[in-house]
Amino acid sequence: MIRAIARKEWMELSRDGRFRVAGALVFLLALVGIAVGALHVRDSRAEREAGARLTRQHWLEQGEKNPHSAAHYGVWAFKPESVLAAFDRGVEPYLGVAVYLEAHKRNATQYRPAADATAAARFGELTGAGVLQLLVPLLIILLTYSAFTAEREQGTLRLLLSTGVRRHQLVLGKALGIGLALAALLVPLFVVVVVLVVGLGGGAGVSPGELLGRLSGLSLGYGLYLAGFVFLGLAVSAWARTSRGALVALLGVWMVNALLVPRLAVDAARAWAPVPTAQDFARQLAEDYEKGLSGHDPVDQRQAALERETLARYGAASLEALPVNFRGIALQAGEEYSNRVGAQRFGELEARYGEQERLHRFFAPLSPMLALRHLSASLARTDLSAHLRFTRQAEQYRQGLVKQMNDTITFRSKYGDADYKADASLWREVPELSLDEERLPEALGAQVPGLLLLGFWLAWTTFFALRACARLSAV
Amino acid sequence: MLEAKKLSKRYGQHLALEGLDLSIGAGEVFCLLGANGAGKTTTLNLFLGFITPTQGEARVAGLAVQQHEAQVRGLLAYVPELVMLYPRLTGRENLAYFNTLAGRPALSPQESTGWLANAGLQPGAMDVPVGRYSKGMRQKVGIAIALAKGARALLLDEPTSGLDPLASNELSELLLRLSGEGMAVLMATHDLFRAKESGTRVGIMKAGRLVETRATRDLGHAELEQLYLAHMRG
Repeated sequence: MIRAIARKEWMELSRDGRFRVAGALVFLLALVGIAVGALHVRDSRAEREAGARLTRQHWLEQGEKNPHSAAHYGVWAFKPESVLAAFDRGVEPYLGVAVYLEAHKRNATQYRPAADATAAARFGELTGAGVLQLLVPLLIILLTYSAFTAEREQGTLRLLLSTGVRRHQLVLGKALGIGLALAALLVPLFVVVVVLVVGLGGGAGVSPGELLGRLSGLSLGYGLYLAGFVFLGLAVSAWARTSRGALVALLGVWMVNALLVPRLAVDAARAWAPVPTAQDFARQLAEDYEKGLSGHDPVDQRQAALERETLARYGAASLEALPVNFRGIALQAGEEYSNRVGAQRFGELEARYGEQERLHRFFAPLSPMLALRHLSASLARTDLSAHLRFTRQAEQYRQGLVKQMNDTITFRSKYGDADYKADASLWREVPELSLDEERLPEALGAQVPGLLLLGFWLAWTTFFALRACARLSAV
Repeated sequence: MLEAKKLSKRYGQHLALEGLDLSIGAGEVFCLLGANGAGKTTTLNLFLGFITPTQGEARVAGLAVQQHEAQVRGLLAYVPELVMLYPRLTGRENLAYFNTLAGRPALSPQESTGWLANAGLQPGAMDVPVGRYSKGMRQKVGIAIALAKGARALLLDEPTSGLDPLASNELSELLLRLSGEGMAVLMATHDLFRAKESGTRVGIMKAGRLVETRATRDLGHAELEQLYLAHMRG
């Protein structure tokens, strides 16, 4: 029975010019979004890989110099571009893509793609994820708003109910039919994403199993979200007296879900956990490095205390009498102090980001799109968590590199030997930056609440549809 | 086959149907006559289970409509005043769909052709989208749906309204044939002529009450009209 209803819905939709035109438009938009995203990922990956090669080459070919100078010379770390950014760019455009790693200070990431965007691009970037999150629900509204009201308005409802068909069968059959029509649209898009991801060298840094798991997670998340809209549309159509009323109600829900709540969530997050501007943050950081975290712990006082402590530890009368180069020890101590400063200030900033994200998620029950956005960006490795994972690893690498340079001064040179220089053999000892990316179980683990919320969204819309349909009357 | 016992329906202060007692046997065509708001459609809705009675009971083949809704729906076929079908589906597809919803086995192309032809639809129209059908053609599909369902009782609401004389005559002939095959028919209509032509009995309703029941063989066309007008004016 449900299959027969679904088949009839499918036949009607496939012959409905409105669906064909709207469906083709949405399909094309999503296709363009994904194709443009794929081109961006290809170019971006090539640029970053070239950048990584170049910075390594510069490091190795920097010539003979003091290791501390080499630490100042520094290297660039480039954030790897996820292949799934072709589908969902997440927060990537608003965060930097590279960070300069040098002695004494932790730098913020630079080169935000959004900063280079034209004014027109600020209205919103067309991505496959954006089309699925915003436009496909609109298409579903178009397909469902009159599912029952039209039966009532056209008079088919009386004939339909006189057959003895059960109301829950009508809801499920219609949902299945509309789901089939959507699948005809979305499955080819999914295939395109898979082909493009594989074509982009999906294997680079991502195992096929990992990629398949992420694509399955994305399918599950988007499936729950869109199926919820199908049942919501059916529920409102069964509940409303007229098609116009149903359409207005559904468009209202769409606006709340897609525009109002996300906007409110962003504003509330900013107000609840404000973050300093980039300039203020940099100024505060520079001041902390100079004056100490307390503001009463200047660098010269720290230096004097270290001298006393080092001489006492080695039982030496002077710095010249030490078996190690005190300059290296002092540099490393200064480095460790600045590391603590950086860890504290960046930690505070990240904590603010975390608070903002938590508040953002707090709004998700009012807008399933928020839950889906987090899930989608997380599985595409384009969320804040992926960015912070990169910055932390880059910082760890920076600290290791600078320590290696300082230790070289400490143990391979003498105090007062201002001419000491290391050569390429030392530069080669420094390993290349290797990033450990988040694995699927970790990403899914963090997204369990979001998945549960999307499951709940589908469950309640289904319940609402069944309840509303149970009230359907032929008179 | 169709039985009403003290059947009443009240909407607030308005008594739409009051104490209807009626029994329609197999092979009978009972035509309910009356002005708009007399209670004809309310009577049909009560037999169909679309509304619940305030008092009394409607039964189909001995089964109380309220208690055995699903079985009763299987025994009844309904043709509304305007047979509204799915305009993007063909007549054949509409028939197949409603037939499946009624829980009947899927129809072969020959069977659907047979049912549609039996209801008077021309073969050339069977595979045309219903959106291009006239009212009469849609009604024929509606009747084909009722026939294919294998119902034992047929309820029609103003079936001749807006039909041309030929289509109206075809409907009369069809109803007579169906009654000959043992179908019980309850038809609400304003059309006195068709009621006399098609019906075995007529009932006149006024303000929710069945005020007169007569066998059509005892009445001529003019007598039926006079009887009807007398009740309406009285």
